[in-house]
Amino acid sequence: MKLLTKTTLYFLLIMLPVFTAGAFYLYAKFNTEIKYETDEELVNDKLQWMRYLDTASVNNPVFSIKTPEFNLHPTTNPVQSKHNLKGVNIYQEPENTYAPFRQLTQVIRVNNKNYELVLRKSLIEKDDLVNNIIHVMLVAFGGLLLFVLLSNWLISKSVWKPFYRSLDKIQQLQLNKLESIVFEHTATLEFNRLNTALSAMTTRIHGDYTSMKELTEDAAHEMQTPLAIAQSKLELLLQDDTLSETQQNSILAGYDELQRLSRLNHNLLLLAKIENQQYPVTEQPDLCTVVEKYLLLFEELIKEKELHIHKEITATAPWPLHPALTDILVSNLLGNAIKYNYPQGNISIRLTSDTFTISNTSHLPEIPANVLFQRFKKHNNGYTNSNGLGLAIVKKMADSYHFHLTYYYTNGQHTFKITL
Amino acid sequence: MKVLIIEDEPALRASIQEYLEHQGYICELAADFPQAIDKVNEFDYDCIVADIGLPKGNGLDVVKELKLLESRAGIIIISAKDSLEDKLSGLELGADDYLTKPFHLSELNARINAILRRKNFDGNTTVNFSEITIKPASKTVLVHNKPITLTGKEYQLLLYFIANQHRVVTKSALAGHLWGDEYDQAGSYDFIYTHIKNLRKKMLEAGGEDYIKTVYGTGYRFG
Repeated sequence: MKLLTKTTLYFLLIMLPVFTAGAFYLYAKFNTEIKYETDEELVNDKLQWMRYLDTASVNNPVFSIKTPEFNLHPTTNPVQSKHNLKGVNIYQEPENTYAPFRQLTQVIRVNNKNYELVLRKSLIEKDDLVNNIIHVMLVAFGGLLLFVLLSNWLISKSVWKPFYRSLDKIQQLQLNKLESIVFEHTATLEFNRLNTALSAMTTRIHGDYTSMKELTEDAAHEMQTPLAIAQSKLELLLQDDTLSETQQNSILAGYDELQRLSRLNHNLLLLAKIENQQYPVTEQPDLCTVVEKYLLLFEELIKEKELHIHKEITATAPWPLHPALTDILVSNLLGNAIKYNYPQGNISIRLTSDTFTISNTSHLPEIPANVLFQRFKKHNNGYTNSNGLGLAIVKKMADSYHFHLTYYYTNGQHTFKITL
Repeated sequence: MKVLIIEDEPALRASIQEYLEHQGYICELAADFPQAIDKVNEFDYDCIVADIGLPKGNGLDVVKELKLLESRAGIIIISAKDSLEDKLSGLELGADDYLTKPFHLSELNARINAILRRKNFDGNTTVNFSEITIKPASKTVLVHNKPITLTGKEYQLLLYFIANQHRVVTKSALAGHLWGDEYDQAGSYDFIYTHIKNLRKKMLEAGGEDYIKTVYGTGYRFG
């Protein structure tokens, strides 16, 4: 829910009881006012009537008048000096309901006789009053609602604009492009504070990222150079004609191990680089071409093991991945499929525009899920030419570039599936 | 053929020098950036092997200097950084090749050979070894002046062997040369043997001598 929608909702929720309370207050206020006015009129009427009755008493009649509005009848009660005002409900015949009235009662003396004078005034306008108040309140509330929505829309269009711009920038953030991010100055204090904080943060992250990247490359440099020296010395040593076969084999073993170490180093650095997102997606290399390239490259190995390749490949499959990574992806998975296969086994490759599936037969059992992508977990005994990083690299690629990597084992077939 | 080796690590510099001199090159050495600049300004070289990370400067700037001097020397950059940007900028500046440390000395030698073949004779030359003649321009191989048909891999193998003649070449170096760095993904080097067997057979059938010697379990030696 948008922040603005939320505040609007809360605002309306608060306004609802306020308006209701307002309506009640208004009703009470008007009610008192009407009562007061009516009472004043009743008193006024009473004075008029009393003046009239005094003048109309020549023939000394006995008055007994009974209408809903005016009631005068003899009584034995003593004369009251003050009138008595109260609200009553009187039955209305035509409507079969009770209607509210104000009633003035006083025992007066006319021609030495005591009469009870009852004057009533209908308060029937009160119903209209309630209706009117509700009506007015509803109109005001509706108007306010409309006004709030409209102003929110306008506010979000203008006031929140810098905020959304900053948000968009952070969303499209790429680690290796951090330094180019500039958060503009706005007219709002809070947004300026936010942008300043964001700028400081991105600068700091960029600094960390750069130093980490430098460390990665320095580490490579520092390790590869001694490796290069050792390897070159052994290669020169191998040239010695006077070496015995055992000596030569020992040198070769050392030479091969150095290469393994160098590959290991290379792969560890690769993992770090992928994690650092140092391979930006700048183009979409065609995975078909890559697959064909590696099938050709591994052709000899495939022939040697007499493997059967089943291909189901679409014409083009541009994948949003750095070309160096598509190469590593395909060579790691295809390399494994060949390496862990048995002679005359099968490899099937399925490539669509958004999935890449590679399955192979193998004597190896199913790989337990908990160790599947762990570094240095070798799932194979007897394959020394493995550093246990191949799958970890593919997994890291999947995590860093947001595609799904799944593994399943059915009928002796190991399958790796990548979905964009 | 004169080669300048620009490398700050003395041990590696010495290894490269020893290997290349054995293959008949005259080597000069530079240990840091100012030395390298002095040497390239003073002398002409056929090929320059330059490390990127140098004391007091950058190997890529040596490449720039060479281009300023309009040098015809072939340039191979060697770097410990397996960095794509370095590789691309090196090649853009005019380097002919790029090798990542650690490398096989035989691979470096083969690449120097290939560059020199391309540079100095514009490809119109022949590579000779006894009765074997290779015409790189047309990729044809003659044994006793009779052409033999080789596959691409066999042809590459032969060139590699002749460049590294009389040296022990390891199987991993051969595999790396023929299949690139990914070869180790798939496991074994055994399939190299098939190519060598076929190459040997074709040359013997054409009346050539058997120059490819198997060196125990290590690798091969040509000549």
